[in-house]
Amino acid sequence: MIPVPGLEFYITLIVYILVFLIITLSYNMAYGYTGIPDFGRAMAAGAGGFLCGLLPGRLMFYLLGFQGDYLENIHLVIDKINAVLSENPLLSIMLLTLTVFLGACAGGALGLLASLPIFRGIRLFYLGVTLLAIQIGFNTIMYHWPVLLRGELGVPIPDPFKWLIRYSSPALPPGVLRLIGIIVIAGVVLLITIFYLTSVSRSPLGRVLKAIRDDETSVAALGRDVRGLYVKVMVVSYAFTGAAGAIFAFYQGYVVGLHFDRVEWTFWPIAMVILGGLANYKGTAAGTIFFITLKRLIIFYKANLEPILPFSPIWLESLLLGLILILVLIYRPRGLFPEKPEISLSREEIERIREKIKRKRSE
Amino acid sequence: MIPLLLQNAIVFANILSLMAISATLALSKTNVPNFAVATFGTIGVYITFTCVKIFRLPLYSSLPFCLIFGGLIGVAIYRLMIKPLRERGATREEIMIATLGLDIFLIAILNIYADYLTRAFKVMARDFTFSAYDFSIAGLNGVFVASTIFFVATMVSLHLIFTKTSLGIALKAMGEDQSLAECQGINTDILCLITWFIVGALPAAAGVFFPVNWISNPTVSLFIVVSVFASCVLGGFSTIYDAAAGSYIIAMAQVLLIPYLANIVGVWILPYGFLVALLIMILTIVIFPKGLYGLPWNTIGEFLLKLFNYVKEALRVKA
Repeated sequence: MIPVPGLEFYITLIVYILVFLIITLSYNMAYGYTGIPDFGRAMAAGAGGFLCGLLPGRLMFYLLGFQGDYLENIHLVIDKINAVLSENPLLSIMLLTLTVFLGACAGGALGLLASLPIFRGIRLFYLGVTLLAIQIGFNTIMYHWPVLLRGELGVPIPDPFKWLIRYSSPALPPGVLRLIGIIVIAGVVLLITIFYLTSVSRSPLGRVLKAIRDDETSVAALGRDVRGLYVKVMVVSYAFTGAAGAIFAFYQGYVVGLHFDRVEWTFWPIAMVILGGLANYKGTAAGTIFFITLKRLIIFYKANLEPILPFSPIWLESLLLGLILILVLIYRPRGLFPEKPEISLSREEIERIREKIKRKRSE
Repeated sequence: MIPLLLQNAIVFANILSLMAISATLALSKTNVPNFAVATFGTIGVYITFTCVKIFRLPLYSSLPFCLIFGGLIGVAIYRLMIKPLRERGATREEIMIATLGLDIFLIAILNIYADYLTRAFKVMARDFTFSAYDFSIAGLNGVFVASTIFFVATMVSLHLIFTKTSLGIALKAMGEDQSLAECQGINTDILCLITWFIVGALPAAAGVFFPVNWISNPTVSLFIVVSVFASCVLGGFSTIYDAAAGSYIIAMAQVLLIPYLANIVGVWILPYGFLVALLIMILTIVIFPKGLYGLPWNTIGEFLLKLFNYVKEALRVKA
């Protein structure tokens, strides 16, 4: 008997889709629009996520005037903080907003640091290699340095959605209201992301970014500060990803230095963007929804897949990711929804200019 | 007598060199940034595992099998992935992402193979070492002797191929400009196949030596890849000699410097060992982005000569 996914599956699916949409749309700005082969995206998500483990708990610890060592008594402290937060919706919302905002700032700051090699005029390939290596180093430090996140033990995160439990009803499965709270905050951040990114893509700046991607030297010859634009794109794009990482950390409620690994947070988003279509937000959204649904279904049906597959289903995800990436790049490099040609003037305006030129010639 | 730590450092340097030479050849000759190079090494580890544990062969007799199978896998990857990508005009960044996909795919395949070995042959196919299979000669570890001989033989062979044969000249021409090389009547497809045979064979050969000193599993490449790329960046991604020099510097810093620092500041520093490689890589990119290859060696040589003469003169005056 094949099980049918329930309400919790769909709500979790929506959470994942929203969080990853923020990441893939901002990644599309960096790679799809500007051509930066950013292999350190996991680091940006980690900046926001790890900040959730570092900041809100400590902040509440000092605000509420608790005594003793924070990390040694962390489970007790977080329980007490959650008890306070469950009584104070306003405080919870403020803590959530502040952390997500600071997560975005942390992501942006890391984006600035990560893009510093660009100022040395290195080739984009070198940047890809460097970012991949820096990301591995970042996770290692987070995992091994006990002062930050208790090393391999990790830290629990205060729950700013605790107050929603009071509105729960017996008809709803436990935790659903919390997930809806996460959907709301992720939805708000996603809307801001979409608004910003579509504004950029429709503006002259969007066309400059595409021009940089297509021919960096020509754009520089026209007087544009190409390196400066690379850095700005990295900072903004990393900031959005940082906010997504923070939201995901709140969803998990716990963070360890090994979270935000490169396969899940760098390679999967790359595959989503490439499958959907570079420099096309609709395509990126389609790619993200397809991949996330596929991943969640594999996890949900793992037990059912076990007897069918000749290998353990835990490797299926990686196999598919690798295969799809290679096949899409070979057979459909422009993705499912290819980039549309950019026309800066409307069709009517072009016709009007053409008529004007014709009239002048005839005169 | 060479201290054990130095022997281990040289073994690691030889392993890194073979991988860095492979990555440098792939980029400089065929314009492919190969992110799966360290996983090619893990393929070698599992070919060795199969030879030693399943077919009961002596450890170092698996070397020819690693060279042949690793090379064939390299050729297959070129034929099935790189060539179609190049034919449709993929950019270097796209090829780079495709090799990342290949890396993930190969790691999944290796995991499946490790599961199969464990299930079918009841052997521990994860987190194993081959230190028990190594020999000792005149107080030196077998892996130190074997890996050094193999590394020197590889360097000499590649040097002779690249400098003394028409194949090497044709490869150089292809690396400079593929279209121009084709205009001269050079069959670049055959040359790419030969290059990719070497690109697959060298890291696979390194896979014979790695499990002797270090614990191995299908995901071990994730930990070596930073050191390999640091070596390549330090070398400048240009010639095999610079790649080898970069690898030796990285390996020495990683294997010798970290235990030395651990004695001074404490053992907490040990897990951050590979950050040394990362730090060297970042410093290289910031200070001399073209690596060792791009350094003004003539000016450095003249400066050193002047310094030497100055010191010699100063000592003579003092005497």
